[in-house]
Amino acid sequence: MRTSAISRLALVLVVVVIVVIIAAGAVALYMQYRPTSPSNVVVISFAGWSAGPTEMANYQKIINDFEAANPNIKIDYEVISQMFFENLLASFAAGKAPDVFYLDSSWAPVFISQGLIYPIGDKLPSDFINQFYPFLLQPFKGSDGKIYGIPKDWSVLSLFYNKDLFSQANVPTPTSSWTWSDLFNYAKIIHDRTGVAGLVVQPDFNRWVPYIMSNGGPSPSFNSASDASYFDNSQVRNAISDFISKVQQGMNASYVVLPADVGAGWNGEAFGKQKAAMAIEGSWTIPYLNGTFPNFKYGVDWDIAPMPQGSSGRVTMAYTVALAVNAHTQHLDEALKFIEYVEGVTGQKTLVVGMGQTLPSIESLSNDPNLWPSHAKELSMVNSYSAVQVFSFGSKTGDLDSKFGQIFLSAFQGKLTTDQVFTELKNAVSSEFSSS
Amino acid sequence: MAILASKKNIERLTFILLIIYPFTLNAFFGYFSAVFSFWLSFYSWDILSPMKFVGLSNYYALFQELWRGLNLLFSDPNLLQFRAPFFNGLKNILVYTAIVVPTQTFLALMLALMGNQKIRGSQFFKVAYFLPATTCSVIISLIFMWLFEKDGFINFFIIPFTGGYRINWLNDPTYLLTAISLVAIWGTSGNFSVTFLSGLQTLPKEVYEAAKIDGASSLNRLIHITIPLLKPIIAYVVIMGLIGALQMFDLSYVMAGSSGGVGGAGYTITLDIYNTAFLQLRYGYAAAKSVILFLLIFSLSYYVQNKLRYYRHE
Repeated sequence: MRTSAISRLALVLVVVVIVVIIAAGAVALYMQYRPTSPSNVVVISFAGWSAGPTEMANYQKIINDFEAANPNIKIDYEVISQMFFENLLASFAAGKAPDVFYLDSSWAPVFISQGLIYPIGDKLPSDFINQFYPFLLQPFKGSDGKIYGIPKDWSVLSLFYNKDLFSQANVPTPTSSWTWSDLFNYAKIIHDRTGVAGLVVQPDFNRWVPYIMSNGGPSPSFNSASDASYFDNSQVRNAISDFISKVQQGMNASYVVLPADVGAGWNGEAFGKQKAAMAIEGSWTIPYLNGTFPNFKYGVDWDIAPMPQGSSGRVTMAYTVALAVNAHTQHLDEALKFIEYVEGVTGQKTLVVGMGQTLPSIESLSNDPNLWPSHAKELSMVNSYSAVQVFSFGSKTGDLDSKFGQIFLSAFQGKLTTDQVFTELKNAVSSEFSSS
Repeated sequence: MAILASKKNIERLTFILLIIYPFTLNAFFGYFSAVFSFWLSFYSWDILSPMKFVGLSNYYALFQELWRGLNLLFSDPNLLQFRAPFFNGLKNILVYTAIVVPTQTFLALMLALMGNQKIRGSQFFKVAYFLPATTCSVIISLIFMWLFEKDGFINFFIIPFTGGYRINWLNDPTYLLTAISLVAIWGTSGNFSVTFLSGLQTLPKEVYEAAKIDGASSLNRLIHITIPLLKPIIAYVVIMGLIGALQMFDLSYVMAGSSGGVGGAGYTITLDIYNTAFLQLRYGYAAAKSVILFLLIFSLSYYVQNKLRYYRHE
């Protein structure tokens, strides 16, 4: 018995020794391959997602240039391609968040209110901050008025139209004097004359905010259950009832379609497949059309016009992503230096203007000769808008936008009455904020 | 190393070394996560602020939602997706399970019976049936989304039977869940047919020979010999099918989107758990929902196991 107990003990010891050896080996390997730097070199971790290998390569090039110009700073660039914010939140919870990271306007209120990011506007030179479009800075302002993020680029909604279908239908192309009624009326005429749908729409709330605001509705903002009263505003109610009825009429007569009705996943695809003559879409549609439908050319086959106007002006939506700095970073000065480089004129010329994916957030770059003509046109239209609303409606933007979109979809399909639409919209807001 | 002198000790050591890696992974990502999520269900937590103990209030809110859903189901089912998303997910996943599990089990058995025949090319068919199981479900979903388009391949074939009507599979709440179910059945039947096939090959030949001598037809042999002898395998396939179906996430996420598609018809419990945790940042409430899902899977599996008598009784 005694021998057996000893051999069992010895067995456990052997296992422990093996585990320790494996663990020690793992640590040694980590020490050998982890990014090392001389003691006077600061390592900044930088996390973002990627629009593709070209963007990653361009970032790497800018990072290399920055490191060459600043030999005491190294950038540890990490691309998180999936579930970026879920990963980022988890890294904050674990106390291992990156020093500098992408921050989408829709997530900004959460990060600001939780004190996770540093008010970099206090530290950056005002000359630098003043270069950016003021409306793009708006979602990154905290309730204390401080700026917590600097937009790296942006996209805007415009009216995309198919020139061939307009000419086939013998209809004048959209102008800056077009109203929302013109949009639907011409959609019907084009469908009657060509058999192709005039307009493709998505139910997403953010696509209809310009309609609401250009017809007198206030800018949406939902931060507590009481903000459900937004949908009691008579101008908001009139605008929503109005566009639902217009879309329903159009869908019944087939001149307005949802992307799925024409075998597409989204507006841009339906437009690119030429299954609809018009679509209200963001700047991301331009590189998509260019890459996916190379024979469907900007300026020849399709063009861009400003958003239609309502009774109270012309409004569009902007979508932007900022670079923000971890509130607990140990290397604030170096992080700011990196942001100034990447988001400054030199950085944006390579990362934004040259790429053609998005629009530069620095106002003076709107005249850059290297801009794609389509992007230059979108930027030239910015001043014609009475308001540019950035995609950020408070701390629950993403979830509420998706819930409102589901409600609009049911309304478009005639499954909800107008009264039910308002009850459900208000209910979505109040339940979002009244729950644990 | 006297310890290594004994063969038994070497066996023990090998055993420990072999299990230490999977056990560590399982202990952390399986057991710890399960216990942690049960514990989390009594807290309110947005991952960023400190956790707050809330007792049973997550469960109370959940049962309120279920009750609200049950009422809406009979009064105004169009509002289910907005007011009682968890109930909507539960309702959908039960319907989905009821369609998928019996069909895939039956199909898998049929495929296995065919594959078990000594006919030319049976090896080719076995491989062909099993191929879907080796393909990523997201890719399968994407391919089927294309096939299910209004002007797609599937409608092209069924138009003669629908009088020219083209079903809008993915954008009509009446058909969305059926479309997802069909993809699941296609993807899993082949996999389970291999399980049945291995079961079929272990069945004793003498019984069949005796039955043949007694003049039993092939249908009689199937009903009275094959199926009773395969009972443990059937129970295994049904239970594994149940567990997989009730936890379905990938097909719905790709084919219907995270909000469950048109009318919320493709919404499932796991999509709701995902949205509650990662979009709404209500981790405690999401954990309570996972506990309910666990109880559902556990009780249904237990019931089926009892009903089908997993173990052979002599």
